[in-house]
Amino acid sequence: MTTVTGPQVGVTLYAFTNEWLTRQFDLDGLLGEVAKRGLGPNIEIIGFQSFKEFPDVSDDFASYFKDLIAKHGLNAVSCAINSDRFMKPGQQPIDDADLVEYHKRQIRSAKKMGFKLTRSQFALPAHLLSELAPFCEDIEMPMGVEVHAPMWAGHPAVLEYREVYEKLNSPALGWIPDFGGTARAIPPSLLDAARAIGTPEALIDATKDIWQGPEASYVKAGKLRAIAQDKGYELAHVQACTLAFFILSNNDPQSWAEMVDRTIHIHGKFYGVSNEGVEEAIPYEDILPIFRDGGFTGTIVSEWEGHAYCAVDAFEQVRRHQAMCRRILAGEPVVAA
Amino acid sequence: MLPVERIIGEEGLEATERGARLAMRLPWYRSLPFSVVQVASVKLDGADIDLSDAVVEFDDQSFPLAEIGEQTNAFWFVRDSAFLVLPNVAVKADDSHEVSLVINISPPYIPGMTRVNPMTATLTVA
Repeated sequence: MTTVTGPQVGVTLYAFTNEWLTRQFDLDGLLGEVAKRGLGPNIEIIGFQSFKEFPDVSDDFASYFKDLIAKHGLNAVSCAINSDRFMKPGQQPIDDADLVEYHKRQIRSAKKMGFKLTRSQFALPAHLLSELAPFCEDIEMPMGVEVHAPMWAGHPAVLEYREVYEKLNSPALGWIPDFGGTARAIPPSLLDAARAIGTPEALIDATKDIWQGPEASYVKAGKLRAIAQDKGYELAHVQACTLAFFILSNNDPQSWAEMVDRTIHIHGKFYGVSNEGVEEAIPYEDILPIFRDGGFTGTIVSEWEGHAYCAVDAFEQVRRHQAMCRRILAGEPVVAA
Repeated sequence: MLPVERIIGEEGLEATERGARLAMRLPWYRSLPFSVVQVASVKLDGADIDLSDAVVEFDDQSFPLAEIGEQTNAFWFVRDSAFLVLPNVAVKADDSHEVSLVINISPPYIPGMTRVNPMTATLTVA
């Protein structure tokens, strides 16, 4: 008999960026808080956010970390690594060989710490995947590229990767969808944060209009800047609005269906879950069944990103998000408050 | 900047034998190589400080600020302060100064992006 399990929930410590940067928790304390609140056991950690020794973690630290994970009863699923290709601003990117080795250093560290997979970024050119696939296969560490807004299934960079994925057909390469690419709207909480610093309503309206368009993030930012210069809007107000162009886009949620078969892990990006258990900007009701019904059995880590503009309780947001995901995955409707 | 981000570190301004020592925090969500960080300006009580002989200290490492662009394999852990030592700036313990710091960062996986981060604070010298 085969046991079929559906998608699991978990959390990325990135959701607690505010608590981390303000030194409210050290790593032991933060992992303990996640465990105590029942937000695990599955976790993702950004290597360069939480591990001081990254990208080259010592045996001693790896052993200490594994003890922490065991002590708190957690499961280290995913380590987010970075494709840092532009080490010297304004100069040429680093050599391909150095970039490949930079990835290997991080993947080795993640393996040593007990993670099951890594998250990479599109800054890694597709032609280097053939050099990393055998390495990832050998050490049994699948690597998934994060499909983050403004990217989506039909984005040229995704199509280029897809072609290489199909050619290599490696079990060690896959996708990590980030749902910010298929939002229905700019999060109202983001716009409220802009209003709270005095952003005029006309600038917010312009932001909403521009966001709906198909252009690249930087083109949208340029359009808003042009309006701001014309009307004399303050830089801080423009920056508060421009953020939306870089973290969210409004591609078709159904497009994720094209990526389910090679999806190895998911970033459950979200901004605010209501008392009724509904995310304010991303249509989870439409998205999650695609992965459940498509056979995805990996982890959806709750990735609250409201910390980019507000400082509400991240732990409570993650609790609500996980409850929402469980409800939708179980096929249950929204319960009115 | 994130609502909780700061670039003048919690440890503030200190008088040392090497000169004034200012704590700095990295304005990003993750550690970055020092090579993508630029200390654009420091003002003390409104006056620009000459940074040509400034030194960056982080844990047991130190290097001239002028060489920060070469530090591609020295990572500034996002939770820790780095320190800017200003050899020609003398400050006295318990004096207060208005410090303005501007740090630019260019995240190494986002080509062409540079974020300018200013912060001003009144600090009592430790």
